[in-house]
Amino acid sequence: MSDASAPTNLLINIILRFGFLIVFAAFFALFAFWNPVFVQGGNLMNIVEGSAVLMILALGMTLIVATGGIDLSIGIALDFGAAFAVVAMKSYGLDWFGAACAGVIGGSIVGLFNALLVVGLKISPFLATLSTFFIGSSVQRIFTNGGGPISHRRMPEEFRNLALGDVFGVPTEAVIAFVLVVIYFIVLERSIWGRRIHAMGMQRSAAVVAGIRVNRILILCFVAAAATCAIAGLIAAANIRMFTPLSGFSYLLDAIAAVFIGAALHSRGRPNIPGTVMGVLFLGMVANGLNLMGLNFNTKDALQGIILVSALALAVAQRKARNG
Amino acid sequence: MGQSAFRLSGITKEFPGVRALDDASLEVLAGEVHGLVGENGAGKSTVIKVLAGVYQPEAGKVEVDGQLLSPATPANVHAAGVRFIHQELHLVPHFTVTESVFMGQERRGPFGLAKREMRKAAETFLRDTLGLDVSGNRLIRDLGTAERKLVQVARALIDGDAKVVVFDEPTAPLASNEVDIVMGAIARLKAQGIAILYVSHYLSEITDICDRVTVFRQGQTVGVFDNITADSAGDLVFAMVGRNITDMFPPKGDRVVSDGLQITDFTDGQKFAPLTMSVGKGEIVGIAGLIGSGREEFVDTLYGLRRRKMGAVSFEGADLTITTAAQAVRSGLVLVPRDRRHDGLVLSMSVAENVTLATLEDNAVMGLENRNAARKATLAQVQSLDIRPPNPDAITRLLSGGNQQKVVLARWLSTSARIFIFDEPTVGVDVGAKAEIYQLIEELAGEGACVIVSSSDPVELQGVCDRIVVMTRGALVGEMQADAISVDDLVAATTGASSVEEIRNAS
Ligand SMILES: Nc1ncnc2c1ncn2[C@@H]1O[C@H](COP(=O)(O)OP(=O)(O)OP(=O)(O)O)[C@@H](O)[C@H]1O
Ligand SMILES: [Mg+2]
Repeated sequence: MSDASAPTNLLINIILRFGFLIVFAAFFALFAFWNPVFVQGGNLMNIVEGSAVLMILALGMTLIVATGGIDLSIGIALDFGAAFAVVAMKSYGLDWFGAACAGVIGGSIVGLFNALLVVGLKISPFLATLSTFFIGSSVQRIFTNGGGPISHRRMPEEFRNLALGDVFGVPTEAVIAFVLVVIYFIVLERSIWGRRIHAMGMQRSAAVVAGIRVNRILILCFVAAAATCAIAGLIAAANIRMFTPLSGFSYLLDAIAAVFIGAALHSRGRPNIPGTVMGVLFLGMVANGLNLMGLNFNTKDALQGIILVSALALAVAQRKARNG
Repeated sequence: MGQSAFRLSGITKEFPGVRALDDASLEVLAGEVHGLVGENGAGKSTVIKVLAGVYQPEAGKVEVDGQLLSPATPANVHAAGVRFIHQELHLVPHFTVTESVFMGQERRGPFGLAKREMRKAAETFLRDTLGLDVSGNRLIRDLGTAERKLVQVARALIDGDAKVVVFDEPTAPLASNEVDIVMGAIARLKAQGIAILYVSHYLSEITDICDRVTVFRQGQTVGVFDNITADSAGDLVFAMVGRNITDMFPPKGDRVVSDGLQITDFTDGQKFAPLTMSVGKGEIVGIAGLIGSGREEFVDTLYGLRRRKMGAVSFEGADLTITTAAQAVRSGLVLVPRDRRHDGLVLSMSVAENVTLATLEDNAVMGLENRNAARKATLAQVQSLDIRPPNPDAITRLLSGGNQQKVVLARWLSTSARIFIFDEPTVGVDVGAKAEIYQLIEELAGEGACVIVSSSDPVELQGVCDRIVVMTRGALVGEMQADAISVDDLVAATTGASSVEEIRNAS
């Protein structure tokens, strides 16, 4: 209100407006200062490559959050993708492409099951996908006699290349993630289906009255998200030449965090693909940087949590400031 | 009287892109009922929020009871005895009356909550101060809308320190017979020396209960009227919109009515009994009925929002199967819903996004949006309906009620719909926009659309419709030609005071 506080206001405004970018840059500088290895091209590529699986999962999560729900079973879709692909190659001798298709189909089953619970039985997405998570976890344990991995040493070279190969020097998994990011961006931010998804996510009843077929959209989104997560599963399996049960779960919180960082960065708080990408890269950078600092495991987790919470709080404050 | 209860002077409040208040002033004297009127977007709600300390104005003074509050904050305004009855009812359906009244301000006795004492206090207050006899153990969900409104009032006033009460459009969600309940309560408050600021678009209410009236136009105070009588309405309208609105309702055109919508033995099996009615092309048919008459459920079921049990719907002789709203829209049947902020609009989307939501394909190539085309299409609608601000990128939440309603209309006008259902089309809409909406309804019928207007406002039904069907207690009890009856007849028919037969025979 008064003029005397104008400069401080300006400063606060700048921080709030570009806050997240500043934090991003500050951490980057800090890590670089601490350990120069951090900024070497090889390490930066590590960050991108290491973020690929999380990126793919976060895309699926963004889609579901945009419909107004949440998906706690993305890890299950990842596991199923990996399991179906590995079993297809090992027990049925399918080639790499057949295996990849089997994996995507396996993941889609998880999505269909979610859709059945949410659309068919009208269970809230939170509870529905939580059930899927529990059911899917125990199916895996039963199938593997208690959770032992299924390894496949003689995995076809082409399949292994999903994780280990490169396209003109860029790691394949990063390329896959990038292609998916582009597809998701077009669908969610540039297409009429994206418009409908956002509308139903923001105000379901108004979307219904406007004639949007919300149930159909929900089914498609749950299946598409799960199929996407299954692709992450293919990469995970290719990486270690085996299927490790219940390994998808560890990505869940990071994926949720990335989506909500992204939504908070959006001027109107919508979940969105560019924001999610920022969120994933931020999380990847922090994890990598803390690693290079050589902190012990427990400290690292705690620090990561604190950084995450602060980033979220800042992003939210930033949105408030923008909207006046 | 004579002493100031509160005074706002020189208030300027800007939002990005709009000056909502521009050197506005407003003074309410102790002991009076003071009306505040103005078009949608004139700044009424904004000035109330300035008084409440929710918005900090760029300039101006807020004085309560002679004390300058700088700045006004929710806490010091409350301490000064000003209470606000917001338009929305923030009550929990499964709470009791007592719990609702004392929510957040529970009284404690030696053994925990003083439940009996609170119930006594709530009942006494509702009875003696507001004139509502209701048990404190009743659940909110079992109360009518007007009764809930009074519970909301009781909650604001139960601490006994209120000196000024501000009502923002308290009767907007009420049926005509419920309005009196709220009006009665306001008269009682006044008798107890409490000053009242009353905001409403219903000028008859304003002239009924107000001692003085302030008129806002485009964020400025354009007049303060003393000596309000029933004849003041014309002057108020002139001050509000800057022109005379002589005819609220457009003249009914010479329309050729032909076979259109036929509804036969249609029921949801719960809230309304099988009913049969028709709406010709080029005809406007009204549905009258109180809350609970099954009118709302009928409309929702027709649109596919609720499940129908049996019955047939046809258009131009061809069967019209509608089980979802999406099907309705694709068959050319569209609904302007009664709760536009909840069901009509995605509030956090822009005007353009809302207007084009049902015609996304028209502005897209292979599923990819052409945003320029969408903006252009929206701009054309915005201009033809005079939506303000005329900015397709404005966030819908920030538009005033009348303009929000026009956004809903703009969406359906961009489709090729042939059947229009208007459910409470002018709730919370100012006089100017109301007249425009009525004009538009008439034009739609003139172009050969089937139009249904479902409303709790008898004046509106009588003025705009050709034919009116009446529903009471879940049954369609008869129909009347609108020009053969008076507004009073219509009220009598909907409340069941006289039967439709009696009215038809009398006229
Ligand atoms: N938070 C906000 N941000 C931006 N603009 C706003 C905001 N609140 C209100 N406005 C704008 O300020 C103007 C005044 O709005 P206000 O809600 O006070 O009108 P009103 O007189 O209460 O109208 P109504 O009769 O429709 O309730 C309008 O143009 C509105 O769009
Ligand atoms: Mg208002």
